[in-house]
Amino acid sequence: MEGINRRDFLKYGLGGAAVLVVGSGLPWITENKAHAGIRVQTLNFTITDALKDMATHNTINSAQCYFWIFKEANLPAECPGPHIFATEGDTIELVVTNALDEPHAFFIPGMVNTGPIAPGATVRKFFTAGNGGTYLYFDNLNQPVNRVMGLHGAFIVMPKAPAQGHKFTPYSEPTPLVQKLFDDFGTPGRAPWPSLGSRWFPGLAWEEGDPATNTYPFRTYIWVLHQASPNLFALVGDFTPGQDYPAAQFVQRFLHDPFDSAKPTTNAIPQYFTISGQSGHFSHNSPYFCPNQRVGEPVIIRLLNAGLWSHSMHIHANHQYITYVNGVVMENPIWVDVFTFLPMTVVDYTCPYMRPPSIPNVRGIGRADLGLPAGVSGGRTWPPNEELTTFIPGPAPLGVTPFQVVGNLVDGAGNPLGAQLSPLCYPMHDHSEPSQTAQGGNYNMGLISGINFIGDRNTPGAMNFPNQPLFHGPGPGSPFGVNGVFPAAVPPPWFSK
Amino acid sequence: MSFTSPALHIDRISVVGEEAEFVKMFDPNPVGAAPALPERIDVTALPIFPFSYVPGPPPAINPNPRANPVPEVLEALGFGSPATAHTLNLDLLNGLDIPTWDGRLLPLHFMTIRDKDFGAGGTYPGPTVRVPRGVVFHCDMAGKGPPPHTIHWHGVEPTPINDGVGHCSMELGKTTYQFQPNFMGSYFYHCHRNTMQHFEFGLFGFLIVEPPDAYFSSIASVAGNGRVTLNSTPVGASSDGRFRIAANILTLPADIQAKFATGFVPGDPTYGVAGPGDVGVNDPHAFTVPYDVEAIWVADDRDSTWSDLASDAFQTFPIHGTIPGVNDNFQANAKLPPLPFPQVPFFAFNDFHADYWFITGVPVPAHLGGTAQIPPNITIPAASNSGKSGTQVSVNAQVGQTILLRCLDAAYNNLRITLPVDAVIIAWDGRPLGVPPCGSYNHAFVVPKNTPMTISVARRFDALIKAEAPTPSNTFAKIEFMETRGNTVTATALVPFTII
Repeated sequence: MEGINRRDFLKYGLGGAAVLVVGSGLPWITENKAHAGIRVQTLNFTITDALKDMATHNTINSAQCYFWIFKEANLPAECPGPHIFATEGDTIELVVTNALDEPHAFFIPGMVNTGPIAPGATVRKFFTAGNGGTYLYFDNLNQPVNRVMGLHGAFIVMPKAPAQGHKFTPYSEPTPLVQKLFDDFGTPGRAPWPSLGSRWFPGLAWEEGDPATNTYPFRTYIWVLHQASPNLFALVGDFTPGQDYPAAQFVQRFLHDPFDSAKPTTNAIPQYFTISGQSGHFSHNSPYFCPNQRVGEPVIIRLLNAGLWSHSMHIHANHQYITYVNGVVMENPIWVDVFTFLPMTVVDYTCPYMRPPSIPNVRGIGRADLGLPAGVSGGRTWPPNEELTTFIPGPAPLGVTPFQVVGNLVDGAGNPLGAQLSPLCYPMHDHSEPSQTAQGGNYNMGLISGINFIGDRNTPGAMNFPNQPLFHGPGPGSPFGVNGVFPAAVPPPWFSK
Repeated sequence: MSFTSPALHIDRISVVGEEAEFVKMFDPNPVGAAPALPERIDVTALPIFPFSYVPGPPPAINPNPRANPVPEVLEALGFGSPATAHTLNLDLLNGLDIPTWDGRLLPLHFMTIRDKDFGAGGTYPGPTVRVPRGVVFHCDMAGKGPPPHTIHWHGVEPTPINDGVGHCSMELGKTTYQFQPNFMGSYFYHCHRNTMQHFEFGLFGFLIVEPPDAYFSSIASVAGNGRVTLNSTPVGASSDGRFRIAANILTLPADIQAKFATGFVPGDPTYGVAGPGDVGVNDPHAFTVPYDVEAIWVADDRDSTWSDLASDAFQTFPIHGTIPGVNDNFQANAKLPPLPFPQVPFFAFNDFHADYWFITGVPVPAHLGGTAQIPPNITIPAASNSGKSGTQVSVNAQVGQTILLRCLDAAYNNLRITLPVDAVIIAWDGRPLGVPPCGSYNHAFVVPKNTPMTISVARRFDALIKAEAPTPSNTFAKIEFMETRGNTVTATALVPFTII
């Protein structure tokens, strides 16, 4: 197993996308560098606090929020805690120290419960990873205060192996229709599954990677949804040491504090809406959050609502199969573009990563048929070469005009900083739109990510779309977008170590 | 450990090296000439034609590509003339003040969408757009007001430039959208700029993908000048004269199947609406069920405080700084409300409080926490319904008829919907359940009468209901609006549901 080294991880692993792998090294992990976060045998947490600079924070606009956090021993401080991956049946050691002033706990329903940990105390526990699935870990004391203050994160359990003669699903006990869906992902007739795959979802199976294109297997994204109230969290942080903030009062103020139109507001409702700790640009234009795959590379997106507002998570470009809700693998996985997330709801979106089906084509029945003749360049509607090339600043084909946005910005050398008008990028956002804000406005700085198409496995010659350096790993030195060249794929930064 | 002395600090991620992408998210500033439209198909050169049904597989369905015949059918109905053949022509942000049902001093301010060619819209909601499956759909859209408005065709999945998402994939104030609607069902369209405001203020309408022979079947002939003559097939109906909706009833229990079996057309069990062996296209009626009565429920809510204080379409737009990530102005455009409101700049789009409720534009005469019914016999005029007559809001059916209910949550509340009769859910979000191949992982299912169903913002379902017995007088469907903050009921709408 080739893990990422710690120095590189600290360099790139900022921004709430920190991944921790605990326990045994079964095939899904050893062959899966995408999940090769820091590898540990023990989950070692300190429950502490932090002040965080939010998406709109800068030198002229203060935007900070106080959180309680699960600080993992190897990783930078972040809220939520790291995404933790384990394998079904693993025995996991858990060590938690409470550095705050009131009792706290670590809890995964049905798996582990430390019970109250006194201030200053450390608790050590062993537990067994349950069935393959998506779980929220959180502090279950003084509910929901401790959880909503930031003490939560995603705990992912992978199954040990697929059922005999079938492909991997994310679950230990998939229902027949979920198993059929995962069996159908991939070009039919290929080894080692000559009888699996389908004509309508050609490409790779979910468990299948392709080193030639930097495509990793078991493609997984995790969106922990949260709402943060800086005013209320500050009150809780400065509450009488050793005493719990009254939960009913917390809920009342968080949900129903009287309306106040002004900014900065004194009311206690949330002002920041985050996906795994990030908002706006930081959760949208980041390969840690936003799927960047080719047509024919299905992914799982695991969504967990740790907060108290409900959300309605809408993805453009592909409908999603709802394969898992709150611990239950779905008997009837409906195919939707939006789904309901009440507080504490956990849902898996299984995304086929099919060609966006409303692009005009020969039969017009939603299949990846030959595109229709179109445009001035003699091409077809797919691949959309004009759309991809026209709107990248630079030489344009005859008859089309270069176009970019934010063209009045310059870098230090006076060169224009243009952004491509239309890479094959689409948003994913909460359709319950008050969450699309930061500090009460600033549209698009809230609960948003995306889904991007970087190529098409199923169209000859279109494996890698031309693109501009859209994505950077967080921080300088990122391997993304250097020299203005978009890499052949968007692997996680530790992939090409 | 406390807020005043936290143990740790978490920095915001740097935007160095990605300033332009950062700024594009909140303050896009298009430069350069208006771009040519990529991969554009000349729909004016594509055919529309009379279509007659030849049953039995594998029928050679209409040639592709086909143009959208709806504008020409609307012209034949006398509603106006298309400026460009086979092309819808909308414009955005027509302000509209609507008095409230309770005579509030100030009306509610709406932003609306108008169909420039056929005069429909400028209303709330916008005109219902219908389009047959598989045609090349074009819509010319011009925006008025502050930086470009867009239309996102929710649930339709085209290339990004046609996806209509301001700040993200495109930034055009005037453009021609192009897509091919390839799954029959219920969708909607809305402006996707400053969306928390523009969607709330009414910039949306319903969108329906009809069977591939709908509209074509109502054309008797096409003249050389492109004008069409209609035949006797009702507008919107398929070539057998029936209105149809995508569904696979074969996965339902036998007794339920039997209720909807008359007129149901099966398709290929593996390839669905494709022909056997995935060759060609099957019978245009494959995996559809005929229905007699169509009802559309668009549940919406308004916050009169937002209407009063924040009707400026620029409200809370940020402005990027000279050094993005360092000195961007995130307090810009905190516009003052009109007098006589206190002159406090508004910056509270995270704080929504519904106090007026609507079902498909019809006010629900209830105050916060109340229950009220909307009137009986409400129908949607053909002019704002893509020429189709008789679509209902309050349901009025006869025993023996099949009712199709299309429901959308356009509120910033969740909905809890309770029907007084058994219903079969046949589709979510424009994807029919159980229709192969992509629907072969799910199936239609029965929701027994008086069973509440909860849906959240932007979700749609299609339900089939067999009118089996007369309903007692004063029978209603119940639509409860549930807060996204705490799940309490803000108001309950009762929609008349009458079977005689």
